[in-house]
Amino acid sequence: MRIKALLGHREVGVAVALVVVYVVFMSMKKEFLSAGTLGDIVTVAAELGTVAVGVSFLMIAGEMDLSVGSNFALTGMLLAMFITRFSWNPHLAFVVVLACAAGIGALNGLVTLSARIPSFITTLGAMMFWRGVALYLTQGWPISVFADVPLLRWLGGAKVYHTFHISAVWWLIIGAVFWVTLQKTAYGNWVFATGGKRAAARALGVPDTRVKLVNFILAGVMAGLAGCLQLGRMGSMSPVWGQDLPLEAIAAAVVGGNSLTGGVGSILGAMLGAVTMASIRIGLVMVGAPAYWYMAFVGFIVVAAVALNVRLGEVISWHR
Amino acid sequence: MAPVMRDSVAPNHAEQGTAPLMEGICLCKRFGKVTALEGVDIAIRRGEVTGLVGDNGAGKSTLIKILTGVYRPDEGELRFEGQRVEFASPKDARRLGIETVYQDLALIENMSIARNFFLGAEPQRKVGILNLLDVRKMRLVTEEALKDIGIAVRSANDEVSVLSGGERQAIAIGRTMHFGGKLLILDEPTSALSVHETNKVLTYIDEVRKRGLAVIFITHNLYHVYPVADRIVVLEHGRKVGDFAKDEISVDELVQIVSYGAQRVARSARQQ
Ligand SMILES: Nc1ncnc2c1ncn2[C@@H]1O[C@H](COP(=O)(O)OP(=O)(O)OP(=O)(O)O)[C@@H](O)[C@H]1O
Ligand SMILES: [Mg+2]
Repeated sequence: MRIKALLGHREVGVAVALVVVYVVFMSMKKEFLSAGTLGDIVTVAAELGTVAVGVSFLMIAGEMDLSVGSNFALTGMLLAMFITRFSWNPHLAFVVVLACAAGIGALNGLVTLSARIPSFITTLGAMMFWRGVALYLTQGWPISVFADVPLLRWLGGAKVYHTFHISAVWWLIIGAVFWVTLQKTAYGNWVFATGGKRAAARALGVPDTRVKLVNFILAGVMAGLAGCLQLGRMGSMSPVWGQDLPLEAIAAAVVGGNSLTGGVGSILGAMLGAVTMASIRIGLVMVGAPAYWYMAFVGFIVVAAVALNVRLGEVISWHR
Repeated sequence: MAPVMRDSVAPNHAEQGTAPLMEGICLCKRFGKVTALEGVDIAIRRGEVTGLVGDNGAGKSTLIKILTGVYRPDEGELRFEGQRVEFASPKDARRLGIETVYQDLALIENMSIARNFFLGAEPQRKVGILNLLDVRKMRLVTEEALKDIGIAVRSANDEVSVLSGGERQAIAIGRTMHFGGKLLILDEPTSALSVHETNKVLTYIDEVRKRGLAVIFITHNLYHVYPVADRIVVLEHGRKVGDFAKDEISVDELVQIVSYGAQRVARSARQQ
């Protein structure tokens, strides 16, 4: 019974995956289990995880966003440009670029919902379009902020402890807010219902179209915010960064128990999925393996974890 | 006893003793050249199950859509609790307590029973500045309401996907009762169910009737509706061709009317 109750959580699959990753890297290199390494992992996870939380929330409502990587790069670049080239007040610039990120999400939603086409298509187009815009802004060059800007330090530059960057704190807060919204509010119930069976949700008065639109916007804001966090941590942004981000975010979500077709998922799972992938990335660096093993390893974890999740789903139906 | 054919005159209330909960009077609906309904009168009473039967294309769904505000009738009027009403949308009908349960549309499989039960009407409690779901209340009320109509679930936190088809119908029915529905419309509730499951659903419907709600039960299968129905209304090519109290007619006579047409059955009855 105890074990069943424990298995009755969508996050078990990803927790197992995370343990496996840890055991593998620890057996290769003892230092993998240290505060310093954990700090590095959480720092990487914070940026990917912020995107994954937004994508996961949108996926549960039954839609997809492939444009998060382009949104991430474009938003980070705009923030850097407004601060360095136009000398805007950084706080104003931050608000404006987040509004742009929200606009990108809103456009995805409006086009998808009014043209009634799959969001996979809409956001595939948006991914290419906004990537093109980002490349055009600096003719493909990265952009850096050399001055000491307090806002950027607050976003990601500062370390709260050891190797732990402050961006991880923001990520945890965001994750908590999304988790509560999904699991403990009426809106969360509508999100599950809209993604689970849209017609039934609508018949009971759930504003399904509005739910989807709001979630598109949130996914856009989270992608843009992640770009700002990374700019804060690294001090620069390149128009070619974040190209793998959409697939990594979707991978984190499905490893964490989200369904590709909507109606099922977990914010905590997506966050643990992001930690798993960040662990693989850092672990490979530590054992001195070439970076291209990252994708191979992630590919393996995705398939294995989802296979496990499917088995768990059968248990979960009976006990939540 | 030969089936009694009645003309489409307004039903006699004095005879029934109670005023109907809902009435449709001389309802007509056309789609271009197709006349889907032609001068149909129907009276639905509290505490009664009205079986609505007829062949494919007879106009059953069209009639129901008029009663639930999906369509507006081209002619005729609707009365609810004695008042003339007009519905601009299904929302207006729901506000009066007219609820429809569709076979495949009613529930969301991947959500818990309690979350389904309260979907769109979630109870909330204030925690600090936050409005959070009252998860405990959702579970307790759902289990209570389901026990009320005679369905025991293991836990209201189980997913709907573990339930049988009949149990799913029961949950949708229980939801209507709980939220103060007065008229419950079931569109082919038993068409995809096994005999055993069908019997269960029929007992739930009986329970709903006992509570004084009015029920409309649409079906192709007379053998499903006959045991629970108090009245049976037969449509044919958009017209009402029969409106019987159950004790006026046997199930075999009804089957003949529905399958061979009211005219022919009446003619052969006269010839005997
Ligand atoms: N929206 C519509 N547009 C055009 N014709 C319609 C429409 N809805 C119904 N009809 C026609 O009206 C007639 C009655 O249809 P209705 O759906 O009410 O029958 P039904 O008794 O519900 O049949 P079934 O048992 O197959 O569900 C049919 O001839 C149908 O083709
Ligand atoms: Mg029909």
